[in-house]
Amino acid sequence: MVPEMGYLDEQFNQLEELQDESSPNFVEEVVALFLKDSPRLLSNIEQTIGKYPQDFYRLDSLVHQLKGSGSSIGAVRMKNECSVFKAHCNDRNLEGCRRSLQKMKREHATLKQKLESYFQLLRQVGPREHAVNSRK
Amino acid sequence: MTSSLKALLVDYMAVERMVVSSMLRNFHCEITLAKNGKEAVDMFLEGNEFDIVVCDKDMPIMTGPEAIVKIRAMGATDVKIVGVSADDNAMEAFMGAGADDFVPKPVRPEILQPMVQEVINKKKN
Repeated sequence: MVPEMGYLDEQFNQLEELQDESSPNFVEEVVALFLKDSPRLLSNIEQTIGKYPQDFYRLDSLVHQLKGSGSSIGAVRMKNECSVFKAHCNDRNLEGCRRSLQKMKREHATLKQKLESYFQLLRQVGPREHAVNSRK
Repeated sequence: MTSSLKALLVDYMAVERMVVSSMLRNFHCEITLAKNGKEAVDMFLEGNEFDIVVCDKDMPIMTGPEAIVKIRAMGATDVKIVGVSADDNAMEAFMGAGADDFVPKPVRPEILQPMVQEVINKKKN
């Protein structure tokens, strides 16, 4: 599954802990929200990289948003690449930012595919079969 | 734990609002959401009262620390304000602005829960 393949960290387990009978699709809804917002952020980052003069402050701000929401769902590889990108911003290294953005886009595409497969499998297994916390 | 704490959650990113809302809901908080510091300040200006504010740092229009300075300046000295951020240097900014506590992102419920419980206990007493 996705967590064991190093794409997600223990924060994803935290989301599963928050899921219960009153919000049985919580994890999928949070992930859907992330997958809805993150392409927009990636696109904004790409557009900002293409502008002249370079606006590293804006780039750092955009990546900070992506890092925050990614870490909220446990997207550890994306979070780590965002940290690399921020370091390039700090160094005003545009080429480094460009390379990092390409990595982020690849990580995002892979993560999206794996998460969609994961939730599709959960739906096939059925709601009783996967971990749902009862309200404490 | 039972409570009816009024919580104001301030975060620009919808994903983070959703996750932390869920935690606060589990702590039986009544939640109001704001997308940036200005919306948070406006809540107070409109006369709303909160027991706890959980506030991100970097937001458009008005940052978390900027909002906290204004909220405290309005006389809202009793409300517990918890700053949250993935920024390593955020704690100093929050505490300097008048926050009571700081939680690094991603927010963990076991870190936030004692802070909520502290407010509950104080309210009971």
